Amino acid sequence: MEEKNQPIQEENIEVWADLVNIKDLVLALIITSVFTLGAYFIAPNEPPKPLYFGLIGSIVGFIISSILIKPKRKFETVENGDI
Amino acid sequence: MDITLIMQMVLAAAAGTLIYTIIGIAPGTDETAVLAPVTLVLVLTGLEPIVILTFFIASIIAKKLTDSIPVAVAGVPGGVMAAPMVEHALVLKQYGKSDLSIRKMASGSVIGTIVAVPLSLLLANALIPFSDVIQNYTNQILFGGAILLALMSRNRWIALASIVPFAILIQGLRHLYWGLGVVPEGTNVFVSFFLGITIGPVILILFELLNKDKRKSMQRYGLKSIVLNKDAKHKGLPNPFKILTKQELSISTLASFFGSILFILSPVGITILLGELVSSRVKDPIKKSSLAISSMDALTNASYIAGTLIPLIALGIPLSPVAIGPANALFNAPPVFTLEHNMHHILSNTDFIWAATIGAVVAIGITYFVIVKYAQQICTFVFRWVPHEAMLGLFFGLVLLLAFMDGGLVNIGGVLLIGLVAGFMHRLGINYGVQFMVLYAAPWIVSQLANLS
Repeated sequence: MEEKNQPIQEENIEVWADLVNIKDLVLALIITSVFTLGAYFIAPNEPPKPLYFGLIGSIVGFIISSILIKPKRKFETVENGDI
Repeated sequence: MDITLIMQMVLAAAAGTLIYTIIGIAPGTDETAVLAPVTLVLVLTGLEPIVILTFFIASIIAKKLTDSIPVAVAGVPGGVMAAPMVEHALVLKQYGKSDLSIRKMASGSVIGTIVAVPLSLLLANALIPFSDVIQNYTNQILFGGAILLALMSRNRWIALASIVPFAILIQGLRHLYWGLGVVPEGTNVFVSFFLGITIGPVILILFELLNKDKRKSMQRYGLKSIVLNKDAKHKGLPNPFKILTKQELSISTLASFFGSILFILSPVGITILLGELVSSRVKDPIKKSSLAISSMDALTNASYIAGTLIPLIALGIPLSPVAIGPANALFNAPPVFTLEHNMHHILSNTDFIWAATIGAVVAIGITYFVIVKYAQQICTFVFRWVPHEAMLGLFFGLVLLLAFMDGGLVNIGGVLLIGLVAGFMHRLGINYGVQFMVLYAAPWIVSQLANLS
């Protein structure tokens, strides 16, 4: 299965049952971590506000990375009954 | 029970249903990883316990209804529990019967819920007389649970051998935090260790990516092919009792019954067992697969509900794989809940009935009809717009947040260490159940060892 001359398309790896691109994964990790912890630290220091802020931050990070990153999936449609 | 509280419960149930209908479909989402952090956060925010329980019940039902759907549509399991169904769902897909398998699975789930909710309430009440005795031996039971889960897993000897070293790692970190003064002495860091174990396999891969040789030798892929069938449209309201045949109905009911009684065993294990039992008896491939997936879905649903409700109502100790995994926050989420003060102690019997009923009715009412009618569209939406990277990022962010809250910067390192070890143990074949039980039993195991020497 050594295909050294394969063009760069084949660059995704499998993590937890789905495919990711390493650069995109690092980007997503950085974006969510920064938004989550950032929101946590700017929150007023009265519990449970920091937790709420952090949670909202993580969701914002999730939405931003969903917009920036394209899922590594392609779609084919077949007629019902194809084997 | 006043009307504002009921409204809150209905709203919480609807929120849980919507969130987990979508998350359930996203591929590769482990039940514990997606349910535990959100429930933990809700508990820590100090919402009414009964509202949280309603949210949780609705969430597991919605999650279990939907996580088998991508199996039918694309052969990709939406969660660990749906993995045993892939084989049978693929048979139906090959015969072009994806829509049939969706309707069979979702209907099986509904049967599982209808059987499990009342049965769990009954079983729990039957267990209550013994709860005092059981509670006196909590530590021994948790340790016994770790051994039992280890013995029942596929790689039993390595699981057994891992118990003591892992307990020492956990207690070692806790004593370090006490010694450094980052955590008050006697307070056991729990939540973030729990999450560290959950995303252990991901942490391990992230570390491996930092190794140049490892990174280069990793298997590379193009894009993941998702094959969708052209969908047949359905008219009218679906009815699970019409969609399932008599045989499927009776086997699903029976499976739900056993799934509830055997709440203490691993749901994935009994699902695989059931699948094999059913497959060996029916010859026709389509009938065999329909029977297998409907009854498997009934069983996973039932064992999830029973595994949450029975230990919660009867014991207050997380004595089932579900209770120790996804439902963990209902039992132990310091400082709000501890093993001496959690939903078991706070909620009354009527509270449990209300929460279970509202959660189940709202989740089935929304998800069942939506899924049966729009399975294809929802799957396409999630597959097309939700990248796996963003899901991983979200979990990682939550783990960082809770790690920092538990024990500051030092604990972020500690949680990474736990994740690294847990991920490696996972790769060696030691399942989550054993690791979680050890997390609970660690203080007792280590103090017993110290007393022995």
